[in-house]
Amino acid sequence: MTDTVARTREKKEKLEDILVVDCDVHVHESPGELAPYCEMPWRVALENIADVQEFYLDIPGFSPGTTVYEAKFPSGQEGTRMVHTAEQMRKELDEIHVDIGVLFPDHFLKIPVISQIDYAVALAHAYNAWLLDKWCRPEQGLLGCILASPHDPVDAAREIRKYAKEPGMVGVFLPCAGLERLWGHRQYDPIFEAAEEADLPVLLHSVTVIHPVFPFNTQQFETEFGRHICSHTFSMMANLVHMITTGVPVRYPDLKVAVTEAGISWVPFLMHKMDKEFIERRREVPFLTEKPSHYLKKMFFATQPVEEPENLKDLVTMLELYDGEDNTIFASDWPHHDFDHPSKVHQIPFSSEVRRKVFGENALRLFNIDANGNRLNI
Amino acid sequence: MPQKAKKGREEHVVGDVSDFPEGTHKVVKAGRREIGVFNINGEFYGLPNVCPHQTGPLCEGKPALGTLVANAEGDWKFEWVHDGEIVACPWHGLEYHIPTGGCIAYPNVNLRCYEVVAEDGKVKVRL
Repeated sequence: MTDTVARTREKKEKLEDILVVDCDVHVHESPGELAPYCEMPWRVALENIADVQEFYLDIPGFSPGTTVYEAKFPSGQEGTRMVHTAEQMRKELDEIHVDIGVLFPDHFLKIPVISQIDYAVALAHAYNAWLLDKWCRPEQGLLGCILASPHDPVDAAREIRKYAKEPGMVGVFLPCAGLERLWGHRQYDPIFEAAEEADLPVLLHSVTVIHPVFPFNTQQFETEFGRHICSHTFSMMANLVHMITTGVPVRYPDLKVAVTEAGISWVPFLMHKMDKEFIERRREVPFLTEKPSHYLKKMFFATQPVEEPENLKDLVTMLELYDGEDNTIFASDWPHHDFDHPSKVHQIPFSSEVRRKVFGENALRLFNIDANGNRLNI
Repeated sequence: MPQKAKKGREEHVVGDVSDFPEGTHKVVKAGRREIGVFNINGEFYGLPNVCPHQTGPLCEGKPALGTLVANAEGDWKFEWVHDGEIVACPWHGLEYHIPTGGCIAYPNVNLRCYEVVAEDGKVKVRL
């Protein structure tokens, strides 16, 4: 293993000289935008709400949020940036030194909370078609993820196969907020099977919701402060634990799994908690031929929202605790309220080699693309 | 035991064969060691009564059971294996395969296996 800590004499590469692959940026989809891409009769449903006032990531019948429950908190922070076009995205990513951005939705982070199965499936179809048409621009470093709606896994698998060879699609997005059954449940096997077959990684992404399923009864928090922390991190821990304890990594050994928007400090925690449990309860997970941390370490972890300890060297140690030099990937979460400018990750005293891996090289391996955003597996 | 190499192996009589019916086990003293003696289908096996995990009394638990495996060949269905050959430490449940001393969860962990024989109606542990 190489040194993770920078040697003091080594000259630090400038951010603009490093390949930056941003594994999590968000496009803004709206009912009106998607309507032309949506099949009947659900197109009419979208047209019906095309003019509804949009709160931030919160539209009734599209992405039900917290607005109905609580006050718009008195604050000077707007935090409602949105990116409406591929051109705008390219321009803004250039401004933060990002070479390649991997696209996720805004509203459909919450798609699991939609209760009408056929409607949710139609929304996923419309989003995937719209994303490919309006946003995926490999030559401009804009690459998409196929939205896999958990409502109908067989249909989601069909969507993955439909776009499997598209140069503009490099992954499969697994929404994690408001899931009725955690990822790992056998009902989702068709999705993992299709993703593995297509050599597309699956990327887990959560968001804050108030919904009566895991992660927890978030209505109990009186602050977004509390809710936001738990919604992302606990959701990732819950989903990964379930995936590992249902044998996803052994049943789909070539499936690449990545986690976004949960930071990284919980990874060593989860690794040790699972290995500890394995001592007593291996017989419940007899398909695991290695200790659980072995499988966790094969997954990829996106930095954002990166922890900001007083001593940034603590993050170097954090990475070492989960052998993270080859599986940590940069993400900004642009344009969301809690986005990380890459300069923060650039400040972490990594060695040049590890810095380059985290900023770009690891992501190229995850997505199987070259530094120009071309897929190497089609 | 330093004198072992010169004098050959120590032999400790730990009981009568009738004290160890098939399918049972018992912790015995052999010198200063506590050893779990197991009778599996008439074959005798001995393991240290100390779990390397947190020094739990490994061999003081329930009668030996089997354990579970699952793999692609079996379509990931649970299979019951090593019937009667698995001891689980009563403290934290870590499982060992008695005939080989191998830890099931952590294959890099191997217990010392003591030779146990039945001779002239006596059960003897050889150290």
